This record gives sequence, C-alpha cells and structure tokens, in this order.
Amino acid sequence: MDIIIQALINGLLTGSYYGLAALGLTIVFGVIKVINFAHGSLLMVGMFAAYWMVRLTGWHPYAALIVVVPLLFLFGYALQGILIKPILEGQRDVREPTEVIIVTTGVWYILDNLALMIFGAEYRVVQTSISGQIFMLGDYIFPKAQLYGLITTAVTAGLVLWFLKYTRTGMSIRAASLDRDAASLMGINQYRVYNIAFGIGAMIAGIVGCVLIPFYYVFPTVGVIFDVKCFIIVVLGGLGSIPGALAGGVIVGLIESTFSQYMTSTWTELIVYVVFLAVLFIRPAGLFGEKRDW
Amino acid sequence: MALLEINNVSKHFGGLKAVDQVSMSIEKGQIYGLIGPNGAGKSTLFNCVAGTYGPTLGAIIYSGKDITGWKPWDICKLGIARTFQIVKPFQTKTVLYNTMVGAFIRTSNRSEAEDRSMEVLKSFKLADKAHTLAKNLTIADRKRLEVARAMATEPEMLLLDECMAGLRPNEVDQTLDEIRLIRDRGITIFMIEHIMRAIMSVSDRITVIQFGRKIMDGTPQEVAKDERVIKAYLGESYAAA
Amino acid sequence: MNTGIQKRKTIDTTLKVLLVLFVFTVPLWVTSPTTLQILIFLFLYAYLTTTWNLVGGFAGVLPLGHSAYVGIGAYTSTVLFISYGVSPWIGMWAGGLIAAIVGIIIGIPTLKLRGAYFALSTMAFGEGVRVLVENTMQLGPFNINGPRGICVPLIPGNNIAAFQFLSKVPYYYIILVMLCVVLFITWYISRIRPGYYLAAGGEEPEAAQSLGVNVAKYKVWAMGLSCFLTALGGTFLAQLALYFYPKQILGLDFSFELAFIALIGGRGTIAGPVVGALILRPVSELTRIYLSAVLPGLHLVIFGLVLILVMLYQPKGLVGPLEKLYNWFLNKVSGTEKEVRT
Ligand SMILES: Nc1ncnc2c1ncn2[C@@H]1O[C@H](COP(=O)(O)OP(=O)(O)OP(=O)(O)O)[C@@H](O)[C@H]1O
Ligand SMILES: [Mg+2]
Repeated sequence: MDIIIQALINGLLTGSYYGLAALGLTIVFGVIKVINFAHGSLLMVGMFAAYWMVRLTGWHPYAALIVVVPLLFLFGYALQGILIKPILEGQRDVREPTEVIIVTTGVWYILDNLALMIFGAEYRVVQTSISGQIFMLGDYIFPKAQLYGLITTAVTAGLVLWFLKYTRTGMSIRAASLDRDAASLMGINQYRVYNIAFGIGAMIAGIVGCVLIPFYYVFPTVGVIFDVKCFIIVVLGGLGSIPGALAGGVIVGLIESTFSQYMTSTWTELIVYVVFLAVLFIRPAGLFGEKRDW
Repeated sequence: MALLEINNVSKHFGGLKAVDQVSMSIEKGQIYGLIGPNGAGKSTLFNCVAGTYGPTLGAIIYSGKDITGWKPWDICKLGIARTFQIVKPFQTKTVLYNTMVGAFIRTSNRSEAEDRSMEVLKSFKLADKAHTLAKNLTIADRKRLEVARAMATEPEMLLLDECMAGLRPNEVDQTLDEIRLIRDRGITIFMIEHIMRAIMSVSDRITVIQFGRKIMDGTPQEVAKDERVIKAYLGESYAAA
Repeated sequence: MNTGIQKRKTIDTTLKVLLVLFVFTVPLWVTSPTTLQILIFLFLYAYLTTTWNLVGGFAGVLPLGHSAYVGIGAYTSTVLFISYGVSPWIGMWAGGLIAAIVGIIIGIPTLKLRGAYFALSTMAFGEGVRVLVENTMQLGPFNINGPRGICVPLIPGNNIAAFQFLSKVPYYYIILVMLCVVLFITWYISRIRPGYYLAAGGEEPEAAQSLGVNVAKYKVWAMGLSCFLTALGGTFLAQLALYFYPKQILGLDFSFELAFIALIGGRGTIAGPVVGALILRPVSELTRIYLSAVLPGLHLVIFGLVLILVMLYQPKGLVGPLEKLYNWFLNKVSGTEKEVRT
C-alpha cells in the first residue's frame, strides 16, 4: 500500500512538470492552431541557460528564471514574428498551415545541433542547492526539487489562466483563438496576439527547463524526449485545452510511476503508448477536446 | 406533397438557440427566400438541411424521406447541393477542377465529368476561365464558381447562402437572371439573401426569421407589408435597399 | 509560329526519352558497386517519399511515422523467411497487407480530426512501434531480437527466390521498376475520381463534403495504400542491406526525413518527391560526410536552415521553380517564348 501511495506521489510530481511542458504547447495551438515542433528545443535552451547560471554563480536554480523567462519569451515572440507570421500570411486561406510544423522542425534541428556544436554531446548534471534533498510527510518521500516543480506548475498555470481571463491582452488572445477573422475585425492586432501567445509558450518551456535542472541531465537532444511526451499529452488531453494538458501530464506521470513498480521503465513507456492509442479510439479528440472538429 | 419539409427544427450551440423550432415547406419548382437580420440563424438552418450539423430537435423531410442527421455527402447524392456564405473554392486548383469535383458525383468517368463541367461553366460564363486557378479569381467570379460547382452535382434543389453579397448592382442583376434560368430548368431554389431588392423580386415565397425563431412567411408582397418584419429590419429597411 | 511549338514538343519528348534511356542503361556503363549502391539508395528514397506522398501530399495531411511501415515490411518478410523459409517476394505482400491494415486502423480515428491530431498521432505511433520492437526479443513464434535488430540469412550465390544477388545490378532494376510503378500509380490516381476527391478533401474538407465527398473515407483508403506500398519498400531495404535494427529503420529521424524530402520537393505533385530525393539526398549525404568530421551537427543546422528557407520562399516545394526553369529552357531553344506562357 505504502509503495503504491509513494508511486502515486512520484507520478503526480513527475506528471506536474510534464503537464507544464505540455501547457506551453497547448496554448500556442489553442490560439494559432499550429503545433510548435521546436517546443522541446526551447525547453533545452532553458535548461542550458539555467545550467550555466547555476554552474557559474552557484545560485539557486530558480534564480535563473529571472534570465530564462524574459529570454525565452522574447525568443518565442521573435520566432513567431519572423518565421511563422510570413507563413500564416501567405496561407491565409488554409485552415491549418502544416508548413509551420516544418519551419518549427527546422528551428528544432538548428537549436539542437547548435547546442551540440557548442556544448558537445555529453550528459551534464549540476549540483544545485536543492538537488537530492527530500521532504518527508509521514512515511512518504517528496524530493524537494520536484515538489518545487509541482508548486511552479500550479503557480504558472494559475498565472496563465488569470492572464487569459482578466487582462486586456489575455482577452484578446482568447478572442483571437476563437475566430481569427472576427478578432481582427474587432481591431485586435492578430499577429501581435500570436507573438505574445508564442512567447508565453516558449517562456513556459524555459520555466520547465529551470524546474528540471536540479534533477535531470542536460544534453542537446533532451528536448526530443519532452517533445514526444508533450505531443502524447496534448493529444491525450485534447489539443488546445489547458486543463487537458495538465490532466494529460499527470496521467502520463502516474502511468509511468505506478507501472514502473512492476516492470522496467522501457515497458512503462510502452504502456503510455498503449493508453494513448486507446484514448485515440475511445475519444479521438482527447479527454477535454472538442468532439466535432476538422 | 412538398419537396422539402422542415418540421420544428432547432439547433442549439451550448446555451444558444441559434435555430428555435422553425418549420417551413418548400414546393417543387419554387424559389424560396429566407431572410432575417444578421445572426438570426439562417446559415445554421441551411447547415442543418445540408447535413453539416445534425439538428438538435425536429425533422427534415426531403421527397418524403426523413434525412435528419444524414451526412452532407449523402444529402448531396440525394440531390441537395449548397453553397457557402464564405466561399470555399479549392484555391490551388483550376476552375475546371473545382467543378469537376462536383460533377464526379454523377459519373466516375473523367472525360464525362469534364464535359459536364464545361457545360456548367459555359452557362455561368466561366468557360474562358476554366484553366485559371481559383485563387486568382475576382470575388464575383468566386461567388459564381461556388454556384457553378454546386450545379455541377446536378441537384434537384439548390441552397444558396448569400450568393449575391458583395456584388455590384449589375452583377446582382446578372446573378438574378442566372437563378431564374436555374429555376426554369426545374430546380428548386432555397436562398438566403440580405439584398432586399433581389430577394423580393425573385422569390415566390419568403420566410423571415429573427433570433432563431420564425416570424412569418408569405409572398414577397405580404412580407414587405408586415409590421413585424419592418420592425426586425429597422435601420436596414427595405425601402432604402 | 506552329513550327516553333512543334519543335518545342520534339525537344521535350526527346529529352524525356533520353532521360528514361539513360536511367535504364546506367548499369551498362557504371560498374562500380559503390556508385550503384548510392543510386539504389537514391531510388529507394524516391520510392518511399512517393508512397508517403500518396497520403501526405494528395490527402493534405502530415504523416510523421512512416518509418513504422518501412519497418513492418522489413520485419515481416524477414521473419517469415527465417522461420518458415517463405520467399521475401511473397513475404513482402504479407508485410504490405499488415502495414495497410495497421495504417487504416490508425487512420480511422485520426483522419476525421484536425490535421495536427493526425501528425502527432502518427508520430507517437511510430515511436510506439520502435519502443515495442526494441523491447521484444520474441514476438509469438518469431525471434525479432529487440534493439539488436536482425540479419537476413545469407544464401550463397545469386538466388532470385531468396531476393539475394551478388551483383548490385538486379537491385538497381528492381527498385527502378518499383519506383516507376508507384509513379504510375500516383499519376493514375491523380487522374481519376478518388484523386480529385482526395485533393479536394485535403484543401477544403467542408466544401468537398457538401459536393458529395466522404472525405475521411478517401483519406483512410489513401493511408492504407500508402502504408502498403511503403512496406514493400521496407522489404527491399531489408534485402538490400541484409541487416537492420529498430533505431535505424523505425527511427523518428527516418520518418521525418521521408516527410521532409517530399515536402521540399513538392508535396501533392507527382515529380516533387522524386525531385526532393534527387536533390536532398546527395546534399545531405555530402554535408554529413564532409562537415560532421569538422563540426558534428553542422550539417543538420544547414538542413534546418534549408527547411526553413524552402518553406518561407517556396512553400509548394522546389518542383515548381524547376519546372519553370525547364520550360524557360525549352522556349529558349525552340524560340517559343511568345507562344507558350509558363
Ligand atoms: N458552430 C457554431 N458554434 C457556436 N455558435 C454558432 C455556430 N455557428 C453559428 N453560431 C451562432 O449562431 C447564431 C446564428 O448564426 P448564423 O450564422 O446562422 O446567422 P445568419 O442568420 O446566417 O447571419 P448572417 O446574416 O450574418 O450570415 C449566431 O449567434 C452565431 O454566432
Ligand atoms: Mg449566414
């Protein structure tokens, strides 16, 4: 029993930062209706930035947020403004410009391989002030770094929701996500809204990077692992749905942690795929997705 | 017996009753108009007839067959063709290609589909643009292609959703002539139109809806005189159009 | 005036006939096995991207897990050969059939939804297949050897029934014929009703539906056909390489490569994927060979840049501008600039 509860705790902790990573992806999709394939690479950039901050200054890994958050927001903002906007403009009549997937994959290749050229292929790990520390609640173990991750997820998700609901910019983002044309008729600068949405998505990827630093290896292709996970999570939860992303993340985290009690981790990975396929057949649009949608 | 009968059809989007218990019946060979202010639920009603949405409540009977909830492609095969208010041409394809997609419903033979399409294009004065890409057409031609493509499916009934919006007055007159010609070939027409002058002159009968509900139906003269209709259209009045 | 057009036509036809003759006589004067091997791989890529294009191009969706079907083809024919001595010529049809069924099953729920669902689902499915194979030593009666992959048992000498030859020449002709067949299939489909319906449904699903097209149904069939033909290529790859393992043949990189070659060449056109393979394969091989020694990763940075630039400036692929160039050349030599607009 204890083992199971501990596994559930671990699953929740892992699932929370999965969910946070997926949240960034789903927000971009929700507004622009495109998938950012460079999402994992942005996460990798965030990780490297945090890694070097900690290595060079010895500060708390979360101090890196001060740099990573604005850096990645601007990066995402510029990425959408420079590379994706021209495609959206050129393909105004296309429902879903798949070209964006390809362009962002190009960005993925460039970022991952630049990292490879600069930092080399080795797996790096940095000793932070919270690495390896635990917090006990009764008999149950909460690794501090992951507990902070859970809190960060909750705070970030809360802030994002608040921003979307109560700020002017947030409201225009939501309007644009409902109807591109109508929003621009209402005088919303569609592309600025897209830039901001993309910036937020990238920023969230960066935050996940900081969360991961105390307990995860950094290497140039680390993003690919998270890309595939995030894709599964957002499809599972329903593309564009914020609760879907969070719930999907926790589901994947729970599957991994509970099944790993009984089998090797590669097999738990397989279970995730099986559950994913099962959901695809039972609820193709995901747990929180719209049912009828092209 | 009426060709198309709409019996108490409702369509709800969440809490919004976009169409609320609307009934009407359209006789074969009629030109039947559907009018109402913006957001009244006209396009939604069309979408229910054409199978884009299943109605939340009510039934749609075509030629005595209950077609409620049928898929759009089956409805089209049955003989109801429709156009979209926001035209949806296959942009990267030629005009001929666009109409051939429609013509393929009655034949699987390519050259036959091509011949039929060319005939349709001729009757819509688009033949000389047959090899132009749809994205390079003017707005008026796009609207015309939308109708031509629907006609290529050789329908018994044609649903036209604001096929004259955005056209110049002389283009509107031309489209009206085309509509009458289609009717003269025995095709029943069910059309939505905001241009009062146009719809009043061409329709045999008109239904008016507002906030999803049917206000009245009658001949164009009856509709034009009706208090409720004038109220519904205050500010967008028939006299001014 | 007419003579110019006549001349243009003659030159056009002559060039095309020469090209076909050239391609079919290469082994007569190219004897180096290495060169032939390179050409064989080039055609194999052209073949696989063309089969990808059947669903990725014409149906207007983005499958990102096609390596799974290459793998299904390779594994099926090989395990049948090892376990029961079934000739790969027969095994390849079994592989094709399995791939088609799997592709259809994956397509049914996903092809009804927004394209992003399909892209992500196919990608996740491809990864799932790889993880499954890497973790399975024994699949029912078949030994598939997990991550280490399997070897096709060597049969001494040339053996047509075993699909094994000492010389590269038979492989060259087999893949060339396979390529010609899929090109013909693509061309044929583009001219019949299903081809029109696929293209229409890919571009404007709602409009296509209202014109009588059951869009999802046609997409699912295209997926099945594409997966079937892709798996045949998988068997060819297995027989050519005689050894394969999951990371290579079922890898994400391979799936992406197939998709991107077709996209850069020109999706939805007949020649596009072939053009993409002919341009991109040599470029990516050469940059990989020469640049990765200098700076590992540089060639992929360049590849990423190429992807971005093509999508920004030639989103319909390179086949369009090349066609223009060719027409310009034809007009130039036959003096028909005025008559033939391009
Ligand atoms: N798919 C949908 N989901 C939610 N609400 C919808 C949907 N389609 C239409 N509506 C709403 O239903 C109402 C009726 O819309 P509809 O398009 O049928 O109006 P209309 O009479 O055609 O107006 P117009 O003259 O502007 O074309 C509107 O309030 C609209 O916002
Ligand atoms: Mg409308």
